[in-house]
Amino acid sequence: MVHALEKIHQLLEPDGMLIDIHPTGDPPPIGVRIGQQTVIVGRMKETDDFVEYAQASDALAQVVRRGLFAVEREGTFEFVTHADSVSEWREYLAKEWKDAILDADVAAKAEELLSMPGPDRELILREQICIARLSR
Amino acid sequence: MPIRLDPEGNEPVALFEFAGGFSGQRVLEIGCGDGRLTWLYADQAAHVVALDPNADDIALAVQNCPSHLRDRVEFRTGTIQEYESSETFDLALLSWSL
Repeated sequence: MVHALEKIHQLLEPDGMLIDIHPTGDPPPIGVRIGQQTVIVGRMKETDDFVEYAQASDALAQVVRRGLFAVEREGTFEFVTHADSVSEWREYLAKEWKDAILDADVAAKAEELLSMPGPDRELILREQICIARLSR
Repeated sequence: MPIRLDPEGNEPVALFEFAGGFSGQRVLEIGCGDGRLTWLYADQAAHVVALDPNADDIALAVQNCPSHLRDRVEFRTGTIQEYESSETFDLALLSWSL
């Protein structure tokens, strides 16, 4: 990761800017929205416990300490993913998020809530995302 | 209905707020995937090089590239370490890829 940041530093103009966007590394809650309310049924997991996101933050901190980049601004935003069913969610994970783990009990709770009659329902994943602006 | 990613639009709001706009910028996007973020800003940029190691995603991005952006956006399969160019950039964007 540090090597990638060093390469980016080489490719940027002297007054260039780096925008980094990556998840915080906290396992995001997965819930079922029922009308205006959301019931949290568990958290998404990854085979490596989201370690790569902590490593990304560490790599950024390292190049900042070395003076390659200076942090101008940091923040977070919420990235929400919506699905209509657990099977649709599983298909998405298989294709786009291969190291994700959806525990069987979490899936079962979500399926139960999604199948109940009542107001409109959907599966919701809320990820906290870090965004930073760094100057070269 | 297919999976909906960020229909609230929080990511583009944050991206434009932090980048301060892309007008006239030469942008290097690392981890562009299928171009989901690229399409948000490329029409403002002067030139975009968008990299991703996944050849299938790059093929999809090339296929979905709007005609008015084809001369402005250059998609390449590969990592940042593999990328070689004499071109320098005003802005680098690491999109979920560090």
